[in-house]
Amino acid sequence: MPKKYGFVQELIKNRTLFLMLLPVLAYFLVNNYVPMVGIYYAFVRFDFNTPLFRMDFIGLKNFEFLWRSGKLTELTYNTIGYNLIFIGLGNALSVTVAILVSEVKSKWFKKITQSVLFLPYFVSFVILSVIVFNIFNFEHGVLNTVLKALGADPVDVYSKPKVWILLIVVFYLWKSFGYSMVIYLAAITGIGEDYYEAAKIDGANTFQRAWHITLPMLKNTFVILLLFSLGTIMKGQFDLFYQMVGNNGLLYSTTDILDTYVYRSLKVTFDMGMATAAGVYQSLFGFTLIMVVNGIIRKINKEYALF
Amino acid sequence: MKHTIRAWRTGVVAAAVLLLAACQGHGSGDASLPSPSASSAFTHPDANGGRSADDRSEHVDLQFYMLGSAPPDMPRIQSAINEMTEAELNASVTFNFIAWTDYDLKYKQLLSSGQSVDLLFTADWAQYQTYAKRGAFLPLDDLLPAASPALQRFVPQETWDAVRIDGHIYTVPSTFKEYVTGGFVWREDLREKYGLPKPVDIATFEAYLAGIKRHEPDMQPVAIGAEVQNALAFSQLDVTRHSIGSMPYGLLATYANPADVRSYWGSPEQLADLKLFKRWSDLGYFSKNELNTSEFNQDRIIDGSAAAMFGDNLIRYNEALNNMQAAHPDWRLGYYPFPMAKGYATPVHPTHNGFAIPKSAKHPERALAFYEKLVTDERYNRLTEYGIEGVNYTIEDGYYRMIGDTSTNGFPREAMNGWAWRNPEYMLFAPSYDEIRSTFRELDRIQKPDIYTGFAEDDTAYQAEKAALDQVQKLYLYPLLAGLVDDVDAGLATFMKEAKEAGLDKVQAAYKKQWLAYLKERGIAGS
Amino acid sequence: MKIKEDRSSVWFQLIAHAVVVAGSILCILPFLLIVSASFTSNASIIRDGYSLWPKDFSWEGYKVIFQVPDEVLRAYGVTSTVTVAGTAIGLLLMTMAGYVLQRKDFKYRNFFSFFIYFTTLFGGGLVPYYMLVNNYLKFTDSYYALIWPSLMTPFLIILMRSFIGSAVPDEVVESAKIDGAGDFLIYWRIVMPLAVPGLATIGLFLALHYWNDWFSSALFINDTAKYQLQFYLYNIINTSSFLTSIGAGAGIILSEGIPSETMKMSMAVVVTGPILLLYPFVQRYFVKGLTIGAVKG
Repeated sequence: MPKKYGFVQELIKNRTLFLMLLPVLAYFLVNNYVPMVGIYYAFVRFDFNTPLFRMDFIGLKNFEFLWRSGKLTELTYNTIGYNLIFIGLGNALSVTVAILVSEVKSKWFKKITQSVLFLPYFVSFVILSVIVFNIFNFEHGVLNTVLKALGADPVDVYSKPKVWILLIVVFYLWKSFGYSMVIYLAAITGIGEDYYEAAKIDGANTFQRAWHITLPMLKNTFVILLLFSLGTIMKGQFDLFYQMVGNNGLLYSTTDILDTYVYRSLKVTFDMGMATAAGVYQSLFGFTLIMVVNGIIRKINKEYALF
Repeated sequence: MKHTIRAWRTGVVAAAVLLLAACQGHGSGDASLPSPSASSAFTHPDANGGRSADDRSEHVDLQFYMLGSAPPDMPRIQSAINEMTEAELNASVTFNFIAWTDYDLKYKQLLSSGQSVDLLFTADWAQYQTYAKRGAFLPLDDLLPAASPALQRFVPQETWDAVRIDGHIYTVPSTFKEYVTGGFVWREDLREKYGLPKPVDIATFEAYLAGIKRHEPDMQPVAIGAEVQNALAFSQLDVTRHSIGSMPYGLLATYANPADVRSYWGSPEQLADLKLFKRWSDLGYFSKNELNTSEFNQDRIIDGSAAAMFGDNLIRYNEALNNMQAAHPDWRLGYYPFPMAKGYATPVHPTHNGFAIPKSAKHPERALAFYEKLVTDERYNRLTEYGIEGVNYTIEDGYYRMIGDTSTNGFPREAMNGWAWRNPEYMLFAPSYDEIRSTFRELDRIQKPDIYTGFAEDDTAYQAEKAALDQVQKLYLYPLLAGLVDDVDAGLATFMKEAKEAGLDKVQAAYKKQWLAYLKERGIAGS
Repeated sequence: MKIKEDRSSVWFQLIAHAVVVAGSILCILPFLLIVSASFTSNASIIRDGYSLWPKDFSWEGYKVIFQVPDEVLRAYGVTSTVTVAGTAIGLLLMTMAGYVLQRKDFKYRNFFSFFIYFTTLFGGGLVPYYMLVNNYLKFTDSYYALIWPSLMTPFLIILMRSFIGSAVPDEVVESAKIDGAGDFLIYWRIVMPLAVPGLATIGLFLALHYWNDWFSSALFINDTAKYQLQFYLYNIINTSSFLTSIGAGAGIILSEGIPSETMKMSMAVVVTGPILLLYPFVQRYFVKGLTIGAVKG
């Protein structure tokens, strides 16, 4: 009871703040929480003629297709593996480049390169996959044309699953690091000049300043990016994998992730229950992970935790 | 820490409360339903009790859904149509287009959200049978005589019967007879130049490919594309093994003996076929990376980068020919229909093109009345198939002639993709269609009905296995088909082992049972 | 001491330039391939593949697009309107939320942050969402359907919270409070000017999101006149692959023809070109030191 009283009191005290927050809360309530009723589809047999809550409850049967082909472990492993590499390398790369760009003295150089580094973000994966095919295809690809000109044997990249781990990671980084670089760049811009001035007076060189001032100041931003990527660790980057690999089953052992698997399954079955079930599996995984990680972060430093 | 737990517990409780609130919120409009989330969306307006007769004094707006993209002149056509419907049916029609991109997703949405859709295009390849079987469409049996008697008479009884699913009619089929059967496509000018044999079966086709490889080393002898199952396996099954249709799950039944269904997967026949494709791949008849090509096969023929196709229908062949000759007037193409090689031809099945009324339709009677006009009234039909005479097209010597070209004409021939409401009596053809028609007439002489496409599978009992099997196919069978596995025998053994683990036997048995029951119901006995 | 510092900073500058230049080249190459392909004849693309300079120069792709420019221009209009309106509204609401959520004296900030974050983890699926927008909100075929779904994302709100938290020292808010300023006034007069780099970033991302959105059109728009630009592009690029997957058995012929490779590339250039111009415009807010004067003043 006293808690409730506390809330009312808080509501009155901070009414302006509540009012300012209200539109956002209302939005998420309507836009995200209301449709969550649909999660129930994961547990019923879908039928066009029956209202949702009258459909036959079938327990976990809709989840069955996930493990039926015996690939669930491999898929989960691939999905998490790729995402961890993406998070690690992606953040390292964008932080490094953001610091380098921010330290560059020439103004026009800075401006031009910033724009250019952001360019790949605008290239859609469909188009990217066409370019990749033009580089690597066996008969007419740029790579093999060069190899043949040098007298070497041509390579069939499209039948080498291991190579695709590298290719996928490289193209992911290429396309997306510009986005997080801009975030880091903005965070660096927010750091007061006086910190650097003080460090300069203390005799710190550029490397030391970057290491001791800039990096720690980016921790907060990093944690946000980390928590958001961890929450969706079982999803994501569908287009990248789907467009690059397509129908080529030879590469699936290293390139198939949960999203592509689910997409292909639902192309043949059209079942809403199964689609929802896959989403629930992904969500539960991300939810558990995020509760743990956020808890750990909270223990280390309360300020950095998301909630 | 304690605080966190409390915070998230509160969060979960809040979410649960919201969920409940949402459910109740939806149902508050209808007190008679106990757990009616979204019930208003799913329940048919007249689900309980009989349907009241259509009251024409009430003005209605019909929502018409078609695949494709709206041609530039669509607003003019729509208003011209609406002028007539307002006067004759007291209704207006909105023509909506479902973009090609993710059309299957859109179908799912339209049909499961309860949105008001009065008329929707259906096709066997757009899962007509599945949706009908699952109850997404309104049965038309009782509606037809009352709402559109002329339409009911216009479509022959056996055509109505052919589209029945579990005894009911769910779609208004097209009555235009055409053939979309496969055939060999090749470069006739190159064949003559190098004195190669005319492809009429696999042996001659291979000889042609070998000749092309020898004389035109930069050309890919045959374009396959990423859908290797369609382009290789199903073509081969059709032309060589006389399959009744492209049965799923590796099953094979011949046209002559439909009741004898057996597993093609794992059979000596399949092994032989896979070795054939492997040979083609090894000899360089198609690219090692066929699975990743994104170019359209026809485009590769038109631009001269490939010299043949293994299985395309006459209509698309004709289009490719016209486009190719526009760019390269001295190139020529040849075509040999698979049916000629087989000795029988199956005209397109009536489920191939049709219009259904979804369960969620607000005005089913008026929709049928409008569709009747669209099919049987020449004014409606010509307007929606060919546009406005004198603006979009003219009729010369009985032939259709487009005004301008496809980039300047606001409504090229069949721009609304009105395949389903084609009426043979009002149809207009371009002169280039004559070749197709003459081949069609030849095929007519050896025609036999399509007994496969009318079958509607009920996969609810084995959906998980079905999905798993599809994965196994992509993983192990596609590389085999594309000639990427060195040891074909071992590759096939692996595929079979994985397929069996995914539930192949169960799925095949269930499908077979349904198939035999269908044959019995239709009175088709194995000879 | 002095010399050492100079040397290290020279090295740093050298490394920085080298890395940035190398990165820029890698980033720009594929882009040049696309631009070059858009000026190459279709036959040449299929025969010879892509090259950095058109082997067989042709305007054909652009000609096809601009022969009937109405559709592209209309799609441009739709996307621009939606981007401007959506970004303005979204930015205002998200900054307010970000500001409230970072106020340390706001007791329930963690609960509400979680409330917002939770939506990234769980969703009801596509069809229920479609039913919400179509059957209940009734936004189908209107601009609302294009603006509403992307209006706010939890990621940008939390990011905004962090930006404001680090750009606006607590003391500034405290002293303003003591001066008797209300919460909204503090937000509007003090916090907003201080958070300009953050605002610019979030605004840019939101604008990009709107500009690159095609899914809203795919879901909610049947009226061709309200297609977003990216959907228009996406449709052109994907039509042939969807037709391939349907197979020859369908016997479909498109009266408008199948888009050529050149046309796809030209369309890609036409669609992405203008948004590239927006970035340098926003960039000036990232110039270091902009905030200092404000803090002191």
